[in-house]
Amino acid sequence: MLRRAVLQTFRQGLAQSFFKRYAVSLTETTVTHQPIETSNEAGERSVPTQKTGDESRNTVVVAPPEFRFMYPEFLPDPAMETRNRLREKLERMDMLQRRSVIEIPEFYTGSIMAVTVADANSPNKFARFVGICIQRGGSGLRAWFILRNVVDKQGVEILYEMYCPLIQKIEVLRLERRLDESLLYLRDALPEYSTFPLDMEPERRLNNSVVPINPLKVKLRPRPWLERWERQNLQGVEDLNLPQRFYDKAEKVAKPWEKYDLMLHYRKTIPAEEQEKIFAEVHSQLQQQELKRKLRRRRGPDNEQ
Amino acid sequence: MNQADLSKLVSALRIAVKPKPRLFSCPEGPAGRLKKLRATVTALVKYERIELNYPRAEEAQGYAERLISDAIRNGDCHKHTMEMADYWLNEKQLVHKLFKVLVPRYQNYNSSFTRLVLGPKTYPGYFAGTAILELKGNPFPALQPETHNYHYWLHNVLLEEAKKEFRSAREDRNAGTTESVTAES
Repeated sequence: MLRRAVLQTFRQGLAQSFFKRYAVSLTETTVTHQPIETSNEAGERSVPTQKTGDESRNTVVVAPPEFRFMYPEFLPDPAMETRNRLREKLERMDMLQRRSVIEIPEFYTGSIMAVTVADANSPNKFARFVGICIQRGGSGLRAWFILRNVVDKQGVEILYEMYCPLIQKIEVLRLERRLDESLLYLRDALPEYSTFPLDMEPERRLNNSVVPINPLKVKLRPRPWLERWERQNLQGVEDLNLPQRFYDKAEKVAKPWEKYDLMLHYRKTIPAEEQEKIFAEVHSQLQQQELKRKLRRRRGPDNEQ
Repeated sequence: MNQADLSKLVSALRIAVKPKPRLFSCPEGPAGRLKKLRATVTALVKYERIELNYPRAEEAQGYAERLISDAIRNGDCHKHTMEMADYWLNEKQLVHKLFKVLVPRYQNYNSSFTRLVLGPKTYPGYFAGTAILELKGNPFPALQPETHNYHYWLHNVLLEEAKKEFRSAREDRNAGTTESVTAES
């Protein structure tokens, strides 16, 4: 009898400590659908935090719809075979813990960033790299992004894992988006499109509410290329000027029915209700962290004076 | 590890979705697969109850649910949804039926919009057997009888009381025998 009581109190204690961290999730009620979200390739951000659920007594604060673009690594891998709700929840807790220690800013493919990593073998013990983000992927704690730059006429790409404890600082020098989600074609483009000065200063944003889309069209070097760019429907590349046989073969090999395959899209994404649930869990803590950082930034120069 | 695709917002489906799709063998290949499923989904929306082989029925159920859930979420003024409806419904009057009849019918549903019932499996026949795929709320008589069994129905109340009486009588009998045993010892 005593052992059962001890086990019960232990379970209660665990549950309580768990729920204390996620008090938001306890007040979840049915969330009404927001009509403002973008369902096409997203462009600008709309007004931040909105409140919903005024029908019931509990007003549920729901994360604004653009959270899924700002923090895509919080959404799990959609492959059904490997999903584990408990592991995802624990990962999200760890991600928030890491984000409270270091600032991982909002960035997109096409933003120019500088990453400082702790490196035992370098003379300063730190290694700093500046580059343009050409791709980002992974989910949870394994989220990564690739920075590309051309150093001494040599193209260099480094894959950084966002939640790696060796990373000391991530700065976004220029926050912008491009016409494509993946800029891997920069490898076959003229080097000037991938060159950024290593001592680049962070640029001030003119408009804080909208992330600008850079409509730059990149010129590619003459063939051979690393991939068949003509088959990939790239928006950010200038006209490829290939012989007609390339385009004919691309048409032959293309799968136009995939555009209409509803279940294929479903299996590649997380449903909206689940997204809302995940971000409702995580959004209040993220906002608190951002506020603290803003206060620290404001107090910082004052304290120095 | 892949990141979820963010370009479209989809509603959660309330059916069991298998991780991998079934690839049907068609003379036209993968393009033909969607063409066959289109015919099935069109027939489902037109007749509201169809009998067909089980594997095709299961695949078509997913596509039908996706189409209806998109129509409910986005409405008919949404370009992408209208394109999908135009593709999946071969008869254009059914596009009207989808947005004007089915969407209001399923607006407040918390369950799936379709029901898949296993049908007769006749020997020699097709190994997987047949299935009946229907839209809920259709005007036909129900396929399966309602199997409710509420505790407040009279015969259930009487049975519960009879059970309680029997158990208490048994306990009294057992108590009587143990008392007599202790008294003897």
